[in-house]
Amino acid sequence: MPLDRLLLRTSTVNKMISRNSFIASKPDPSKPNMLRVGLAFGSTAVLWALLFKQHRTDVHEYKTRNGLQ
Amino acid sequence: MGLLPDEAKVLPPPGIVNRNSLWFGLCGWATAMLHNSLNRRPALKAGVHRQALFITVGWFIGYHLTKYENYKYATLDRDMKEYMRLHPDVFPEKEPKTFAEIVEPFHPIR
Repeated sequence: MPLDRLLLRTSTVNKMISRNSFIASKPDPSKPNMLRVGLAFGSTAVLWALLFKQHRTDVHEYKTRNGLQ
Repeated sequence: MGLLPDEAKVLPPPGIVNRNSLWFGLCGWATAMLHNSLNRRPALKAGVHRQALFITVGWFIGYHLTKYENYKYATLDRDMKEYMRLHPDVFPEKEPKTFAEIVEPFHPIR
């Protein structure tokens, strides 16, 4: 199968990855991809929560192991 | 502590705000701003979610890197002290000298 025929699939299958000139569009800043924005802020919140939890655990471990509390 | 052994928990943990976190957070922010600039968007005002995410990732990596660094330095100190304890002949206690004994006599040429 010639490579061109295989590449025809890309327009329907992976619009995100391929930049086929027939279906490409300029990214529009006035219409943000809310899913991506939500995921970004969500993972930010998750990471901060993980960090604070880890810090709290570390402080507790340090105190118990050194007999301070 | 994925890459740290259990004994590392005896060490005091770094604060949330620590040098490595600040630096990596700043690097993450710079990356996000560079990403904006290279895509011809306003550097500071665009993609705030991306800036926040990159800063957070940098901060997180910095915190764990500080913990790892503290452990590595603590093991080095422990090994050094143990060596000094086992070889006291190589580390003689020296009498502290005053400056008067060390400094050469002063002959002013006026």
